[in-house]
Amino acid sequence: MKILLTGLNHKTAPVELRERLAISPEKLADETRALLSHPGVREGMILSTCNRVELVVCYEGREPELALYLNEHFSVDAQSLEPHLYQHHETEAVRHLFRVASSLDSMVVGEPQILGQVKESYSAARSVGAVGGTLERLLQGALAAAKKVRTETQIGSSAVSIASVAVDLARKIFGSLEGKRVLLVGAGKMSELAARHLLQQGAGSLLIANRTQERAVHLARKFNGHVVRFDDLHARADEADILITSTGSTEFIFRIPHAQQFLHRRRNRPIFFIDIAVPRDVDPEINRLDGIFLYDIDDLQSVTASNLSNRTREAQQAEAILEQELVRYQRRIETLDVVPTLVDLQATAEEMRQAELRRAQSRLQSLTPAQQAAVEALTHGLMNKFLHQPLQALKAAAREGDLATVDAIRAAFRLNGSREAAAQHETENSASSSNEAELTAASDDND
Amino acid sequence: MFLLWLRVAAALYGLAAVSAFAAVLGHRPGWRRICLPVAGMAWFFHLVSSVEMLALAHRWMPVGMHEVQSMLALLITTVFLLIAVRYRTLSFGIFAVPLSFLLVLVPALGPDKYTFSSPVIRSGWLFLHITALLMAYAALLFSLCASFLYLLQERRLKDKRSPGFLDWLPPLDTMDQIAQTTLVLGFCGMTVGLMAGSLIAQESYGSAYFADPKVLLSFVMWGLYIVMLFVRRSTGLRGRRAVYLSSVVFLVMLCVWAANLFSSVHRFTAS
Repeated sequence: MKILLTGLNHKTAPVELRERLAISPEKLADETRALLSHPGVREGMILSTCNRVELVVCYEGREPELALYLNEHFSVDAQSLEPHLYQHHETEAVRHLFRVASSLDSMVVGEPQILGQVKESYSAARSVGAVGGTLERLLQGALAAAKKVRTETQIGSSAVSIASVAVDLARKIFGSLEGKRVLLVGAGKMSELAARHLLQQGAGSLLIANRTQERAVHLARKFNGHVVRFDDLHARADEADILITSTGSTEFIFRIPHAQQFLHRRRNRPIFFIDIAVPRDVDPEINRLDGIFLYDIDDLQSVTASNLSNRTREAQQAEAILEQELVRYQRRIETLDVVPTLVDLQATAEEMRQAELRRAQSRLQSLTPAQQAAVEALTHGLMNKFLHQPLQALKAAAREGDLATVDAIRAAFRLNGSREAAAQHETENSASSSNEAELTAASDDND
Repeated sequence: MFLLWLRVAAALYGLAAVSAFAAVLGHRPGWRRICLPVAGMAWFFHLVSSVEMLALAHRWMPVGMHEVQSMLALLITTVFLLIAVRYRTLSFGIFAVPLSFLLVLVPALGPDKYTFSSPVIRSGWLFLHITALLMAYAALLFSLCASFLYLLQERRLKDKRSPGFLDWLPPLDTMDQIAQTTLVLGFCGMTVGLMAGSLIAQESYGSAYFADPKVLLSFVMWGLYIVMLFVRRSTGLRGRRAVYLSSVVFLVMLCVWAANLFSSVHRFTAS
């Protein structure tokens, strides 16, 4: 069975095209079923996220025209689609899927969502019976590789958005955000996003102060927070542990005397100022006070950039891990290619043993049951001893891709049919990988 | 046999120190999982060794530098394990575990030849006096360490440097809590230790014991400890000033330790 991966992503296609091909999670199973019924497709899976739409299929014989499938199902004409599509075959397809699952091909390298999305697609494909032995092994390999990248590198450990950097910094100051109070001064989009992120990460409550009272009330309702009158801002700001400012003021709202008052009233408990406003709302000099931590938009962006470059460094290590995983996957596949020969060899030997036992039956009848069991064990043991070397040679040949040796062993033991026919027969019979694992285990018993 | 257990503990301390460095500075999750159990095992063997050694000697007091070092290492590890479990941070392991390893290294080579002949060493009060004071020293060491780390983290956050080689530092709030808690623990230890010591000395030497330099310095240290606790509690002192204050008390503590050389009471020669 051959593997083909076709699709487009944020690097090859604009969002206008990606959104036309996007498939909602509810429709994923139906679309996968439709893909499975496309001519030539034996197994298939669709990965659809906001940054990519990819079809992974397994086929035999003629290559399925997946562009045609996209064309028919999403009413996108072939001419506008073709320049944005990429296709990967066999090893390249495997490598690409491993990279996608490990988030090395994501817009934000190391983002954690993609692994969950691959699992969802896998689950949808399984639910409609689109996952056979080949795709099963491929996806298990991709998930294992992604897990290894996550645990052995720091690729996803640092924050790379302004909001998540703010949360990370708040954690560095306060440890847990539980019970911490956030004060939003001004109600810009960015500060709202940061506040939302802080609340999602466990911050206790939200205070909102805005020059336009209605907007403050609206936000307070939205986040279940409390409104602080703008005139009372300096009197109540010390109630908050984290202050996010984003007003349109042309002068500083918070200066050193304010911060000193806050610290005094808070008995020196730290305050974290996040100043997203341009021009700035907080006098940068207050950062010199013990217990005050001030980050403006440039500071947050420089942390983000630095974290991104860290991720890029980790990504190089992740690529090396993926190459190792790819080699491991291929070795496993090659070993599985000789499983039919291993099984044939064992079956032929067992047939010969049984035939010899039948021929000697009349002479063995005089033996006691214990003696007969001993003869049975002896012949079984001898057969395994004789088979040990050829089985080892087969496995070594599979690892090295030495198909001539496999053919020679088939010919020497007069195994029925060619290697390809045996493999074909085996593929049809083995729907699940567990079967093959058992067969491999059976052959290992002879080691 | 106690020497064998101490050697096992020393080896485990060494392994725990390596794993603490790998877990904290190298961000290795595998090492993180083994660091605490290995340190716990080292602590257990160390405890067994100490109890066996004291039981064999028919006394409850660590005698000589080797035994006191070993006891201090045991208490440092105890405080480290308590902090690691309570605050879920291994960061202090890169200081505490290597220190414990170094402290038990010489005692693990062989027993100290220096012994006391005074019958006072069989007194339970003396055991309480020494253990409580050693616990206070260990706690103060951690408090100072937490204050220093607080300062480092504070500088790092203020300088707005991105996470780098100091990324392992625990959050400010955690270090503040550790500094405060160990300070209180140390104060309790010091109070109990001084009270027990005063009782023994009053009994053995009369009121003259108070003129002993080590005794005097100990009470100065106790007074400073109260001042430090009061200032930290009332003003919420953190960062630079907290480090200055802890450093002064720590220096006095070192002087108290060194004052053994001039103390007749602590050499049991006054009577």
